[in-house]
Amino acid sequence: MELTLNHFLILSAILFSIGLVGALTRRHIIIMLICLEIMLNAANLNLIAFWHFSPNPELMHGPLFTLFTIAIAATEAALGLALVLAIFRHYQTIDLEQIQGLKE
Amino acid sequence: MNNFIDHKIIELGHWVVGFFDEYPLLKLVVQILLYTLPLMLSFMGAFAFSTWLERKGLARIQNRPGPNRVGIFGLLQPMADGIKMLLKEDIVPEESDKLFHLLAPVMLMVPAMIAIGFLPVGDGLNALPLDSAILFFFAIGSMNTIAVFMAGWSSRNKYSLLGGMRAVAQMISYEIPLVLSAVTVIMIAGSLNGQVIVASQQISGWVGSGDVVKEFFGQILGWHIFKPWGFAGFIFFFVAALAEANRSPFDLPEADSEIIAGHLTEYSGFKYAIFFIAEYISAFAIAGIAVTLFLGGWSGPILSGLPWFVIKLFSLFAVMIWIRGTLPRLRVDQLMGYAWKFLMPLAILNIFVAGFYYFAEQQWGTWVALIGGWIFGFGALQLAAKGLSRLNKSPLLKGKRVYQYAE
Amino acid sequence: MSIAFFMLAAVAVLGGVLAITLRNVIHAVFSVLLFFSAIAGLFLLLIAEFIAAVQILVYIGSVGILMLFAIMLTTKVMGDPTRTVRSRGWVWGGVAVAALLFGVLIPLITRAGNTAESSLSNFDPSVKELGLALMDPYFASVGVIALLLTAGLVGAVVAASSASETTDS
Repeated sequence: MELTLNHFLILSAILFSIGLVGALTRRHIIIMLICLEIMLNAANLNLIAFWHFSPNPELMHGPLFTLFTIAIAATEAALGLALVLAIFRHYQTIDLEQIQGLKE
Repeated sequence: MNNFIDHKIIELGHWVVGFFDEYPLLKLVVQILLYTLPLMLSFMGAFAFSTWLERKGLARIQNRPGPNRVGIFGLLQPMADGIKMLLKEDIVPEESDKLFHLLAPVMLMVPAMIAIGFLPVGDGLNALPLDSAILFFFAIGSMNTIAVFMAGWSSRNKYSLLGGMRAVAQMISYEIPLVLSAVTVIMIAGSLNGQVIVASQQISGWVGSGDVVKEFFGQILGWHIFKPWGFAGFIFFFVAALAEANRSPFDLPEADSEIIAGHLTEYSGFKYAIFFIAEYISAFAIAGIAVTLFLGGWSGPILSGLPWFVIKLFSLFAVMIWIRGTLPRLRVDQLMGYAWKFLMPLAILNIFVAGFYYFAEQQWGTWVALIGGWIFGFGALQLAAKGLSRLNKSPLLKGKRVYQYAE
Repeated sequence: MSIAFFMLAAVAVLGGVLAITLRNVIHAVFSVLLFFSAIAGLFLLLIAEFIAAVQILVYIGSVGILMLFAIMLTTKVMGDPTRTVRSRGWVWGGVAVAALLFGVLIPLITRAGNTAESSLSNFDPSVKELGLALMDPYFASVGVIALLLTAGLVGAVVAASSASETTDS
């Protein structure tokens, strides 16, 4: 059996859905960040798969774009976790159901 | 005559694979085994020999005879230790996270074994000749951190956890100067491929010219350690490598006087032995990459490539033993401060020095670049090091030192 | 090649599912690391070895460790099991996403054009190509990314360190 573009696209769709389910249902702030990373990784897989099966891969568009995405995702993770620490300093908890400062 | 042994080994490999031409699947399996098994077995042998070497060397430094009972000169001591470790009871703490307690030694062993595959151990002898081998090496090396954390966390022991967190903090801090000092070589060689980096350290006009003297020196004088940025880079790289491999004087995660054995506290029997093996093999791997990047890899006169690589590897390891025998352990704050406030700025400055060297070589030739580099580039690094050490000096040490108790 | 693909895909799906279902946060991080390494393996399968190395270096070596550090600094050390949400909302979330996946994404993918052959056979994607492309047409993007990373670094340090002095009063 030969691998086609669709294999990779379906896999990345499944992975993206897993990340989406996690982000919608879990209530732990770090696990929500993890789910964001899962979704970003699924998107990266898509980009590389499109590049691999594209008619002119010598332009290197896929790896370049993925490189930029990974850099942005790393920045996002660092900032997100720094915000988690700041929230913890302020509220002494990171349980999202108890952080209701804006509401009150 | 040169690289005779390396070419013979490759020929031998082709000869063995030739027997399996009719069975493609079997041929693939044999090829995989030929690429991996000799490397793994020889590094395991090197590990066994190096434990003996280390114990003997430390003993001689401390004026003791060292192991001398098992076999001649105690050479069979590693084997006896191995049997002892195998027969010991394997204790798993009741409260520990069983799965990750089991997984941690494996997680440390696998990256160490993959990492040695990226080393170009001889002319054409390279198990994983990837185009971005050096980057892969550092990537695989960063997986060690996870394994150490896993060991420390899953043991459910406060000393384990403290040791694990110390190790993680130390490893991610020293990875930055490690990679930054390797960047200089990658810039000059223009490649991430180990074989290309080694080839860039042979003076191209001299090697293969037929002239005996030029042939001899062309394979030595081209090493990056003889260039100003290479010399500085090698020192930074070696210091950071000691910390990455948890070797003394940076062996804080296992500081037995402070936190028992750190993340190894709850390990016993063969799991402990696997930790031990993995640590030595990562130390070998990182020394091997230092040899490849700065000490000319397998290139050298008269002898073949493989013997040269082994000689250089064991010389670096001997330096590590020597350092372990002579230097005391650092404090945690000193350790982190040294990485962030001293090594990292100097490594960044070294990248600029290498860039200037490259353009001077393009513009005015090698000799001007070398002399100018040693005078100005190395001078700038010296000045920066002096300034940084003055800046970083603890306020307590600024004045004249007062001895309260000692005469 | 296809055996490797299916194995890696199974590992990736397993890692992802475990990451969103495990109650212990640290276990969730370890399983997401499994997911990241499976994705790196898939990149290798697609002959994007540089991206695979970057994936391991950035995600497993840095982001994973960062998450572990954040957990260590904010929750109980053994990664106390998170409270389950008592509402039935997660069922509806799961159903909605599954409907999206099987109703929209997969039909769209299967209906779109499919290719099996890769043009990579007559072209060796080396790191040099990537570096040259980064230096010539994409130089501005590299500058923007560098600026973003610097801003992110400074921002993370500010957010994580000085919050207690300025906002606690």
